[in-house]
Amino acid sequence: MGVGNATLKLLPKQRRLRFLFVLIVVVLTALMLAWMLGYLHSPSHGLPYHDSFASGHASEWRALGGTWAVVDGVMRNDSDERGAKLITGSTYWRNYSIEADVMLLGQDGDAGLIIRSSDEEEGVDSYMGYYAGLRNRDNSLVLGHADHGWMETLNYPDPGQGRIQTYQWYHLELLAYEGKIAASATSPSQGTLTSSAITEKDCVTSGRVGLRSYASGGAWKNVAVRPATQEDLKAMLATIPSHGGPAVSSSPAVSRETPGVAPTAAPGKRQLSRSATNTQPIDSLRLSSFSNPTTATVQGVVILTNPALFVQDSTGGVSVPHPNAPPLKIGDEVEVTGEVHPGNFSSTLEHATVRVLWARNPLPAVSVSASQAATGAFDENFIELEGTLRTKSYGPDNTLQFDFESGSQVFRAITNRGRGDALFDNLKVNSLVRLRGICVVDPAYTRNLTPFVLLLRSSDDLKILAGPPWWNTGNLVVTLIGLLALASASIFLHSRVENWRLRAVMDERARLAHEMHDTLAQSFAGIGFQLEAVRNGIPTDMPGTHHQLDLASDLVHHSHEEARRSIAILRPEPLQSGNLLAALESCAHKMVEGGAVQVVATCNGDMRTMPLRTTDTLYRIGQEAIANAVRHARPTAITISLEYERNLVHMVVADDGTGFAESGNLRGFGLRGMRKRAATIPADLQIVTNPSHGTRVQITATLPPPITIFTWPRFLWKYLKELTHVQRAG
Amino acid sequence: MSSGPDSNIRILIVDDHPVVRAGLASMLATQPGIEVADSVSSGEEALDVLQRQSLDIVLLDLRMPGMNGIDTLVAIKRTAIPVHVIVLTSYETDEDIYRAVNSGAKGYLLKNSSQRQVVEAIRAVRAGNRYIPRHIASRLAERMTRSNLTARELEVLKLLTKGLTNKQIASALGISDNTARNHINSIIEKLEVSDRTEASTTAIQRGIIDVDE
Repeated sequence: MGVGNATLKLLPKQRRLRFLFVLIVVVLTALMLAWMLGYLHSPSHGLPYHDSFASGHASEWRALGGTWAVVDGVMRNDSDERGAKLITGSTYWRNYSIEADVMLLGQDGDAGLIIRSSDEEEGVDSYMGYYAGLRNRDNSLVLGHADHGWMETLNYPDPGQGRIQTYQWYHLELLAYEGKIAASATSPSQGTLTSSAITEKDCVTSGRVGLRSYASGGAWKNVAVRPATQEDLKAMLATIPSHGGPAVSSSPAVSRETPGVAPTAAPGKRQLSRSATNTQPIDSLRLSSFSNPTTATVQGVVILTNPALFVQDSTGGVSVPHPNAPPLKIGDEVEVTGEVHPGNFSSTLEHATVRVLWARNPLPAVSVSASQAATGAFDENFIELEGTLRTKSYGPDNTLQFDFESGSQVFRAITNRGRGDALFDNLKVNSLVRLRGICVVDPAYTRNLTPFVLLLRSSDDLKILAGPPWWNTGNLVVTLIGLLALASASIFLHSRVENWRLRAVMDERARLAHEMHDTLAQSFAGIGFQLEAVRNGIPTDMPGTHHQLDLASDLVHHSHEEARRSIAILRPEPLQSGNLLAALESCAHKMVEGGAVQVVATCNGDMRTMPLRTTDTLYRIGQEAIANAVRHARPTAITISLEYERNLVHMVVADDGTGFAESGNLRGFGLRGMRKRAATIPADLQIVTNPSHGTRVQITATLPPPITIFTWPRFLWKYLKELTHVQRAG
Repeated sequence: MSSGPDSNIRILIVDDHPVVRAGLASMLATQPGIEVADSVSSGEEALDVLQRQSLDIVLLDLRMPGMNGIDTLVAIKRTAIPVHVIVLTSYETDEDIYRAVNSGAKGYLLKNSSQRQVVEAIRAVRAGNRYIPRHIASRLAERMTRSNLTARELEVLKLLTKGLTNKQIASALGISDNTARNHINSIIEKLEVSDRTEASTTAIQRGIIDVDE
């Protein structure tokens, strides 16, 4: 068998190759992982960065406060919220610069850029990092260090260069290199406005970038982040004037400002608007006459500017369509004078004139339930509520529409598209969402489809509390299919392993048989012949010796027979689970060959496919039982019967021979072997013997329920039928 | 035949097992009219002895290292040495019997045969008759009715019993996959079995294939 040998010889080589292959794969995977980790943590991963506000995309930015939206290719925050931030980038960025065009949208505030930011939260100075911004209250370039507190360097522009204007673009650059942070602001009309720098020993070494505004709102465009070198730093430091304001300061910073305190207006620079004395609470507008429109003045805070202006005070909200107003931001304290049109739930001020009094922090939302909102009591108020998303769609005028359900109520939320595209894609139906917005019951918005509509200030007013539950139909079906596949795979694997094991056992048996044949059986044969030779040489007048030789010959003959039978039992047999009975029958026929013993084989019940191990064990036990009967019992008939039940199989080998009365004879070994075999599957083995009625060997083995994808419904049906049958009988 | 009916029957024992050789030689030496001329342990040696001496009967074991019994039988036939062969073995598979008788064995004995049977067989074969015990004869008759496997099919079957796939068999024998499959189909048909697994177990059981080779 040259081929077989060649295959065997190849094996170690193949194994070595496989080992090498696995080793290479493992090493490559480890290298890849290390490289990926290094790549993601690299201080230059993602650099340089340029915004894509012009194309309307900003999904990589994360908002913390404010009403951030991309409008006409510009990122805007139309909120007076203090310390509203928009963050992006990698916390591993170290030495780099960020520059952008920045515009202030209001008085008494600042807007600028954040560098090396980490640990961000909502709040005025709730981040670790550096901020540089333009402040129009005191006409300065602010540069400072935020660590959930604030230390800043003030730098006034040179006299004569004019004030920092609202609605004018400035170019702001902020650079961080090792312990030096430098900032410069450029006015497009006047060239370099001012620069500032700080040096810190224990600086924040790395972090993200961000846009930030304080009490004024702001607009940003052309945001660019790129790695910085020492030369870049030097070039920037060179622009810092050596005279005038504090040029380079070292930590601790010059002044420390208490965060969160509303800025007092710079004296003399701006006249503080005084509110009119005849203002009335917004709630009282509803008491106005329907028939003669009256003019009223109210004072409140802007809660929404787009699609319509809504103003709210402590008593309620009012809508101001098409006002005569300067640009407004959410959080502006305003005075509105207009013609009152009272409605069912709230009022409208038509032909109104709006005057900005000052900027204040936006109003907090009132938390209500959907049922409360549906009553109209919170019409034109800024509210917060929770709901489960049912549908989402793109609405007219570049808006996003979401339909929610909460309890028995349904409502719709509308937001401008702004930077909500990523959110729209991520928001899955059936998610639980917390919303903040202006509750409106006006049919112009609701179209009488829902009791109220929520107008969101920006897509950030929509927070996902929990994704959709996983047990939707699709997932359940997939899980079920997965489980079934897993089950059948494990059954398949199990049977394969069993078969391999059995094959190994069979191979070993064949080897043993071969070994026994070569040694034991041959020796018995030789000794037998030798004994005959001895007998031939002994004179016939020694009957005692002859008798003893006869006995010895018989013993050797018997032993030879035993060995031959053992070898026959050890040899591989054609065993298919289906033909266990046929195999036993043919085995019995072979053993009784030449004799007058009758072999009867019967089968009851539905013949079933059994595990190969069970079949093999039953066959071996049956073979042994038949051999015992043929060898010792001198029977006239041997009966082999198999009986299949739902989860049991009975095998009986019975003979009508002499039986055996006592233990301790030659059969002991065979019986013990049978018991041992039976214990391995495990099966119950009973041997009933009676000198006059022969021997009956009975084995009962449990069968595993035949569960496969195709048979289990039938199996279940059968089982249920049996169960009901038993109950009816009971 | 070298000697007349009155002279001793000269016998050569061929068996690789020394205990069997010694026992047989001792036993037959005590029998009148029978002379054990030599006893050797392999087919090659047997052919050598047969070339040099004239003998009447060869008692031949089937399974031996090197040249096995059947090969030896065929070789003796080919050399046209006038000697009768009685197979004396512990194997009684259909295929063993069939192949031995087919190759020209005049007698077939199992090693657990009694002295009487062995002597009877020797004398019967010496007299020009066949000696095949009844149950072996019935096996032989059964085997005769089955069709024979070709040499190629035997080769394929050998590889099949080693657990090789069609593709592996094809590449081992340098034939196409289809040819290998055809051979296997024909083997399954000839052995009257249902599938390749049964074919290989049946082949081992009937002794068509030696697993030990």
